[in-house]
Amino acid sequence: MADLMNVGVSGLLAFQRALSTTSHNIANVSTPGYSRQIAELMTRQADVSGSGYIGNGVDVSTVTRSYNDFIASQVRSSSSSLSYFTSMSTQANRINNLLGDSTTGLTASLQSFINSVQGVANTPTSIPARQTLLSQAQTLTQRLQSFDDNLQSFDKQVNNQIDSEAATISQLAQNIAQLNQQIVSARGQSGGQPPNDLLDQRDRLVDELSTHLNVSTVQQSDGSLNVFVGSGQNLVVGASATRLVAGQDAFDATRKTLVLQSATGATDVTASLTGGSLGGTLDFRTQILDPARNSIGRLAVALADVMNEQHGKGMDLEGNLGGDFFSVGGVDVRENSGNTGLGTVAATRSDLSKLTAYDYVLKSTGTGWALTRADTGAAVPMTGTGTATDPFVADGLSIVVGGTATTGDSFLIQPTRTAASSMEVVIDDPEKIAIASPIVAAATAANKGAAKIGGTEVLDASDANLRTDATITFTDATHYTISGSATVYNYASGSNIDANGWRVKITGVPAAGDSFTVKSNANGTGDNSNALKLADVLNQPVLNGGTTSLNAAAGQFISSVGVATNQAKSSAAAQEVVYDDSIAAQQSVSGVNLDEEAAKLLQYQQAYQAAAQIIKIAQSLFDTLISATGR
Amino acid sequence: MSSRISTAGMSMVATNAMISQQAALSRLQNQVALGKRVVTPADDPIAAVHILELQRAQSESDQYGKNITLVRSRLSLEEQSLKDTGTVLQRVRELTVQASNTGTLTDKDRASIATELAIRLEELTDIGNRKDSNGEYMFGGYSTTTQPYSLDANGTVNYNGDMGNRLVQINTSQRVADSHSGYDVFNNVPAGNGTFVVGANAANTGSGSISVGSVVNRAAWVPDDYKLTFVDATHYEITDSATPTPTVVASGAYVSGSAIAFNGVQVEISGTPAAGDQFSIDPSDSEDMFATLGKLITALNTPSESSSGGAQLTTALANSLQQLDQANDHVLSVRAEVGARLATLDSADDAAADLKVDLQTTLSDLRDLDYASALTELNQKLVGLQAAQASYSKISQLSLFNYI
Repeated sequence: MADLMNVGVSGLLAFQRALSTTSHNIANVSTPGYSRQIAELMTRQADVSGSGYIGNGVDVSTVTRSYNDFIASQVRSSSSSLSYFTSMSTQANRINNLLGDSTTGLTASLQSFINSVQGVANTPTSIPARQTLLSQAQTLTQRLQSFDDNLQSFDKQVNNQIDSEAATISQLAQNIAQLNQQIVSARGQSGGQPPNDLLDQRDRLVDELSTHLNVSTVQQSDGSLNVFVGSGQNLVVGASATRLVAGQDAFDATRKTLVLQSATGATDVTASLTGGSLGGTLDFRTQILDPARNSIGRLAVALADVMNEQHGKGMDLEGNLGGDFFSVGGVDVRENSGNTGLGTVAATRSDLSKLTAYDYVLKSTGTGWALTRADTGAAVPMTGTGTATDPFVADGLSIVVGGTATTGDSFLIQPTRTAASSMEVVIDDPEKIAIASPIVAAATAANKGAAKIGGTEVLDASDANLRTDATITFTDATHYTISGSATVYNYASGSNIDANGWRVKITGVPAAGDSFTVKSNANGTGDNSNALKLADVLNQPVLNGGTTSLNAAAGQFISSVGVATNQAKSSAAAQEVVYDDSIAAQQSVSGVNLDEEAAKLLQYQQAYQAAAQIIKIAQSLFDTLISATGR
Repeated sequence: MSSRISTAGMSMVATNAMISQQAALSRLQNQVALGKRVVTPADDPIAAVHILELQRAQSESDQYGKNITLVRSRLSLEEQSLKDTGTVLQRVRELTVQASNTGTLTDKDRASIATELAIRLEELTDIGNRKDSNGEYMFGGYSTTTQPYSLDANGTVNYNGDMGNRLVQINTSQRVADSHSGYDVFNNVPAGNGTFVVGANAANTGSGSISVGSVVNRAAWVPDDYKLTFVDATHYEITDSATPTPTVVASGAYVSGSAIAFNGVQVEISGTPAAGDQFSIDPSDSEDMFATLGKLITALNTPSESSSGGAQLTTALANSLQQLDQANDHVLSVRAEVGARLATLDSADDAAADLKVDLQTTLSDLRDLDYASALTELNQKLVGLQAAQASYSKISQLSLFNYI
C-alpha cells in the first residue's frame, strides 16, 4: 500500500512540475530569447521481486530547454550580415539623397557655370554678365563645399557611432562575462543541472552582440562561453571581458579607430572587425565616404586646374594677363604618430589626368621608400629619386622626401581629400576675368597675296615676349622670317607658326613682302576668344588619362554612390530573407506554441488527476483491508 | 512530421509580411505622388546618370538658344549698316558719274559736288562708328570700346580697330561670327580691277589719260610695279621694277584709244600724251572706301580745266568709278556672308528645336513614372496587404484555450 501511495505521490509531484514547466512556457510565450522548456519524465528505479521488477513511479529527471546551437550560430551570422548591410545602406542612402536633387546637383551647377561663361563670351564688356559668371562660380564652389561639408559631418557621425558602438559592445561583453560566472556557480549548486533561464539570457546577449559585429563563440565544459572578435581576439574569456574602446588613427588624430584593451596591452582591431552595425559603419567610411570625399576633391582640383590654366592664357578688361580663377587645397601629407625618424615628405599634384581618388601610404624601407594604396595595400610604382629636382612621381603626384627617416616610418598622402573644403573663387573683381586673348594677329593692309592669318593661341603665358609686337614677313611665297631675325622658316599653308609663347596659323598663298603682325590685344576688350576656350575646356576630357570630362566625372561619382547604395539596399533585402528564415528555424525549435502547451496542460492535468486517484485507491485498499481484518 | 510553428513565430512572419507590403506601398505612393520613377540615384543608378546628362544637355541647349538670339540681333544690325553703306555708295557713284561730264562742268561745279561728297564721307564714317545695343562699336573688331574710325589732320580716315572676328558658340560643334571688323567691311576693298591698279604720274604734261584696264590672260600676268613711259609723243615702252636697270617688257607705237597689251593684261590710253609722261600699272592691294572717297574729293577739288589737268581728272574719275564698283561689290559680298550666317542660325535653331523634343522625350521615358503600371501594381499590393491583414486576424483568433 505504501508502494502504491509512493507511486501515486511521485506522479503528483512529477506532473505538478510538468504543469509548472508548461505554465512557465505559456507565461514566456512573448519573452524575447526564451527557449521553451521541457520537463523530462523518467521512471524510478524498480524494485526487484520474485515475480520480476515492480515499477516505483515517475520522477522529473531534469528540465531541458529546446535549443539548437547550430541554428543559433546561423541566426547570429545572418543577423550580423543583416545589420551590416542595413547600417551600410542607411548611411549610403543619406549621401545618395544628398546627390539626388537634379536641379541643385553637381552637374546642374557645373553646366550653369559653363553657361555663364558663354554669357560673357556673348557680351565680353558687359559687367553684369561678368558678375553673373562670378556668382555662378561662387555657387559651384559652394555646391562642392556643401557636399564636402555634409560628407565631413557624416565622418563626424561615424566617429560618434564608433564611440557608442564601442561602449555598447564593451557593456555586452561585461554582461556576458557576469552571466558566465553566474552560470558556472548555478551549475555547481544544482549538481550540474542546466540553469535554463540564465543560458537564455546569455544567448540573447550574444545574439545582440552579433548585431553589432561578427563574433565566434566556444562553449567551455564548465558551462561558460568564450567570445572572440575580429581575427580571433578575445572579447570574453570565462568571467573576464576585454574592453573595446575608440582610439585615434595613427595618421589622423580626429579619425576614430577601435582598440581592444586587455590586461596585456592595447590592440588596434579596426581593420579586422567585420559584420554587424559596427562593421557596416567602418566599411561605409572606407568604401563609400572616403572615396566620395576624395572624388569631390578631385572634381574641385580638376575644375580649378583646367580653369586656371586657360584663364592665365587670357587677358582681362584692364589689359592684364588673367590670374588664378579658383584656389583649392593642396595635397595632405599626414605623418604617422609612431614615426621615430626625422623624415619629411612634401607632395604636390603634378598631372591632373593621372590623379586618382585614392589615398596612399609612403613608407621608409631603410633602403628607400615604397608607396602603397592606403585602402588595399597594393604597391604603387614610382619613378624618380625623391629629391626636389627629381621627385618621386606616381599617379599624378610629385613627392619630395627629406630628412632622415627611420625604417618603417610612414606617411599618409591624401591627394584630394581636403581640396574642396578650402576651395575659393580667387577673383572678386568682374573686370579681372580674362575673356580676351592677350594677343591679336592681323594682316598688313598692303599685302598683295591671298594669305590669311588665324588660329591665334597662347602656348606659354609666362613668356616674357608674349605681348611684344612681332612681324611675320614673307621673303617669298614659301619662306618667312619673324621680327627681322636672320632665321628663315619654310612656309606651308595651315601649319603652326610658334614664337614668343604664341601660335598662329597662316593659310593661303602669300606674296613676297607680305607681312602679318602679332601684337598685344590691349584694346581688344570685345574679344571673347579666351571665353570660348574656357567654355570648351570645361567640356574636355581631362581626368582618368584624358578620357573623362568634368561633367562625366561628376556623373560617374553620382552613379558610384547610387550603385553602392543600391547594392547595400538589395543585399540588406536579401539578407533579411536569410535572417527571417533562420529566425523561423530557431522559433520552430525553441518557440512556444500555445496550442501545444494547452494540449500538454490538459495531458498533465489528466495525469495529475489519475495520480490522485491512485492515492484514493490506496486509501480504499487500506480501508478494505482494515475492515476485513478488524471484525 | 510537419515542422512546428511557434505562436510568436507565426505572428512574426505575418507581421513581417505586412511590413514589407507596406514598405512597397509607401515606395509606390511616393513615386505616384512625385510622378517620377527615379527619385534618387540608388533607384536606378544608370538611368540617374543618364537623366543628369540629359538635364545638362537641356540647360546647355537653352544657353545656345540665347546665343543664337543674340547673334541674330547683332547680324541684323550689321545688315542694316551694310544696307546703309550701299545706299551711300550708290549716291557717291551718281555724283561721280555727274562729275564725269568733264566737258560741261566747271571747276566750281565740281567743287560743289565735292562738298556733297565730303558730307557722304562723313556719313560713311558715322556708319563705320556705329554702336550696337550694348554700347560697343560694331566695326572695331575686338577693340569694341575704341572708336574704329577717326579723321586725322590730313583729312585721312584711319582705322583704329583690329581684324578680330568675335565668334559665338551656337551648338556643341558650331561657332558663328557675330560681326565683321571694319577692316573686312570698309578697308579690305580690292584696289583697281582686283589684279592691277593704274595711275597717271602727277607731273604728266600731256592730255593722255589711262583706262582702268582689264585682264586678258590671268596666267600670263606677272605681278610687278610696271611703268608705262612715253619715249616720245607716239612711242611708249613698259618697264618692270628690276634694279638697277629696269627690263623693258613691251614697247610700241602709240595710237590714241587702242589697247596696249602686255603680260596678259591690257590698258588703253587716250588723248595726247607728251614725251616723258608716265603711267603706273601696279599689282592690286586694297584700298579703303574712305580713301576712295578722299581721293575723289581731292580730284574734284583740283582745278582741271587745263588739258593735262583734264587728263588727270579723267584718269582719277575712271579709277574712282571702278573703285566705287569694287566697294559696292565688296559690301554686297559681306552682306551675302551675313545672310549666310543668318541662314546658319536658322538651321541651328531648327536643329535645336528637334533636339529639345528628343531630350524631353528621352528624359520623360527614363525618369517619369508609367502611371498605368504603377497604379496597377499599387492595387495589387493593396489587395495583398488587405488579404494578409484579414487572414492574420482570423488565424490569430484560433486557440485551443478557447475550448478549455
